[in-house]
Amino acid sequence: MLILFLLLFVGYVAGALLPLCFPAKPRTQSLLAHGCAGVASGAGIVLGLVGLFSPEPWTVSVQSTVPFLSLAVRLDTLSAFFAFTISLAGLAASIFAVDYVSELERKVSIGALGALFNGFLLSMTLVVLADDGFFFLIVWELMSVVSYLLVVTEHEKADVRYAGLFYFIMTHIGTAFVAVTFLFLYQTSGSFSFEAFRDPAHRLPEGIRTLAFLTALIGFGTKAGIVPLHVWLPYAHPAAPSHVSALMSGVMIKTAIYALVRMYFDFLDGQFPWWWGFVVLTVGAVSALLGVMYALMEHDLKSLLAYHSVENIGIILLGIGAAMIFQSYGLKELAALALLAGLYHTINHAMFKALLFLGAGSLLYATHTRNMEEYGGLLRRMPWTGAAFLVGAASIAALPPTNGFVSEWLVFQSLFLSFHVPDMFLKLMMPVAASILALTGMLALACFAKAFGISFLALPRSLHARRAEEVPFSMRMAMGLLAAICVGFGLGPVVVVPLLDRVVAPFIGVSIAENILAMDGWTLAPVSIEFSSLSTPAIALLLVAMGAVGMALATLIGGSVQARRYKTWGCGIALSPRMEYTATGFVQPIKRVFATIYRPTVKLETEFLEESRYFAKRRHFEFHVEPVFPKYLYDPVIVFFTTLADRVKVIQGGSLHLYLMYIFATLIVLLLFTV
Amino acid sequence: MLSEMGSQLIDLCSALLLLTCFAIVAQRRLAACVDLFALQSAFLAGTAALVGFLTDNHHVYVTAAMTGVVKVIIIPVVLKKVIQRLNVKRELVMNVNVPVALLICGALVILAFFITRPIIPLGHVLTRDSLAIALAIILIGLFTMIARQKAVTQLVGFLVVENGLFLGATAATHGMPFVVELGVFFDVLVAALIAGIYTNRLQDAFDSVDTSHLTGLKE
Repeated sequence: MLILFLLLFVGYVAGALLPLCFPAKPRTQSLLAHGCAGVASGAGIVLGLVGLFSPEPWTVSVQSTVPFLSLAVRLDTLSAFFAFTISLAGLAASIFAVDYVSELERKVSIGALGALFNGFLLSMTLVVLADDGFFFLIVWELMSVVSYLLVVTEHEKADVRYAGLFYFIMTHIGTAFVAVTFLFLYQTSGSFSFEAFRDPAHRLPEGIRTLAFLTALIGFGTKAGIVPLHVWLPYAHPAAPSHVSALMSGVMIKTAIYALVRMYFDFLDGQFPWWWGFVVLTVGAVSALLGVMYALMEHDLKSLLAYHSVENIGIILLGIGAAMIFQSYGLKELAALALLAGLYHTINHAMFKALLFLGAGSLLYATHTRNMEEYGGLLRRMPWTGAAFLVGAASIAALPPTNGFVSEWLVFQSLFLSFHVPDMFLKLMMPVAASILALTGMLALACFAKAFGISFLALPRSLHARRAEEVPFSMRMAMGLLAAICVGFGLGPVVVVPLLDRVVAPFIGVSIAENILAMDGWTLAPVSIEFSSLSTPAIALLLVAMGAVGMALATLIGGSVQARRYKTWGCGIALSPRMEYTATGFVQPIKRVFATIYRPTVKLETEFLEESRYFAKRRHFEFHVEPVFPKYLYDPVIVFFTTLADRVKVIQGGSLHLYLMYIFATLIVLLLFTV
Repeated sequence: MLSEMGSQLIDLCSALLLLTCFAIVAQRRLAACVDLFALQSAFLAGTAALVGFLTDNHHVYVTAAMTGVVKVIIIPVVLKKVIQRLNVKRELVMNVNVPVALLICGALVILAFFITRPIIPLGHVLTRDSLAIALAIILIGLFTMIARQKAVTQLVGFLVVENGLFLGATAATHGMPFVVELGVFFDVLVAALIAGIYTNRLQDAFDSVDTSHLTGLKE
């Protein structure tokens, strides 16, 4: 294992350094950087798998000369699972980036971009492997800073700089809370080593435990993007180059999920009052619903995907929150099921979100715009990208038989099983969470019907879309890899679930793989086969069979098939792109229904012909959704601090003598103080 | 007997140092200020040599000699050249006028003695009053920097602060480690040179060495 770990480490470091040795040769730099990243992430995948199967955690540690800091690495099944997820997404992003970065060649140094990309992957992997609080904070901060630098890749644009600054501030607020959490743990255990944190002898005092729970939720929640701390995601993720967005949205926010699970189920040894789980569950439900609702109103494809990350983090937290509730009532089997569902959705989201971001990157590569209103008809021009994007869209919308469906179904099951909880209030609230999840699923489906339909179907809406061409092979290969994984994880839950059970079992204390897998070997049945069961291969077969039967019936009843090629829904009129549904138009009904949440402002200006008011010459339509969280939560805070800063600025008079006077006065006061 | 007299001598030298401080505060002519600083440094060198003699610390002789070279000769010569080039002879406008400034300095000396009173019995018998005087010199130097507007006098104020620190260090420890003192000398020399250049630039930019003009740099 040491060899694999060293291969991973050396690979990323080499990928970070080598490209810098070949300035002004972007192609060589790109190949070197992403080649090394590919090798290293390949090692990471194997390391993750080995870690999943090894019975004992693997550790290695190097004592450093810096006080408090020991460079300790530990690979248990949870770390292995996350390292596997990160490496898998990293491999796809590396393959994709080889050709994708040529798009950025003229604007930025490919060497620097590749170096940062490797650093980003390395720091993320180390975050999930770190076994020392201090070391964890260092790599956590490294991950934040490197990702900030990647966000501001195209720093000549003002909105990118704004996004970067916003991200930088938010992530540091989060890090501050994380640091406080670790200091709480340090205070009791007297050491920063994770071993000391999880030692039951160092149990935190009751009040501090609650505080640590909250600071961890806020600190890691900022990185994960829970509502209302999600505001940076829709700025920062779209601003980064697409292969980096794929990693940020797909796996970086998952490091926060890792840290939360590690914190609650490991350091706080899985013993907590019921309301902790309820808080996490509520946060999850709100994030899921609001995330997808704001996503619907986005017409920038990458921002839309970023909002969907908020939604999916919400779904993952629903699973974790349910697990915490079950755990606090001692319902171990159910806790294991819910946590397993959350983790299953974690890896699934990593895969399909990376796939969708790479798809968005391909569209950007081909059309040079992120605005969906300028796409259209791309399926005919980019069939491979379109097919891969469709698989990703089906997964995120949780359509069977894809992976998103399986994990959301498991989350549903664990929420439905809440009737085992003795508390009446929770018995009522958990089905409410399930219904919110159902609503979320419906809206996600609508959103991706929009995203896929508006982008890929009908006629091109702009010159960019008309001129689009299919992307190079490496990019298609990366998307194909992820699409295959999405379908594979959907069809093979009976393989994935026992693996995840190995991750969950050490923390909950029971293994449920036996119970979940029904006897026939290809069906999942979380409780009993009578209550509910799922077999995705069967569904897939059924879907194919239905299609075949439909075709057969059509031939049987309708006679022989006559092919007539004509424009769809043409009705004899020559179709033009102006007749198409726009993305804005598509979501109008939903906007109306949820007007209380969106608070939309619509501005319609019409310029009439002078001769008659029955003929409009020009129409101008504007439509905005009120940014509730930035406006009512963030703006007051920002205003408060800027006014405070203005007040304080008075003492900065600009006069040298005044400053000397301050020093002098301070000195005298301090001297008098000591007497 | 010897130590009794030595203590008296050191007190005398320290008092002379303090006296030159007051003279600097009262002096409007820049060239005279620099001369007074050179005189103060000479007294400082004398005090250091005396401490070295009475305590048998031979490396203190070296620092005394270096004080003589750097602070009595090099820095005053540099400053005189700056004054000549700039053609500023007198400080006409002051933030605090001379009588008030002298009164404030008197108050600062009382303050310094008041502050150091609790720690004086803990010091070496030989040099214990020097510590209070050193603190008084530091405070007066800092005050000079606030009270004056010309860059050259501010520089002199800074060097007076440094002299005060040196006296304090010598008084409290009978000479710091030699390496530290070397470093401090080098710092002072560089600081004086930089400040001289800065003064020239100030003259070029504002046609004056009045640091109040720098207020305009604030946004």
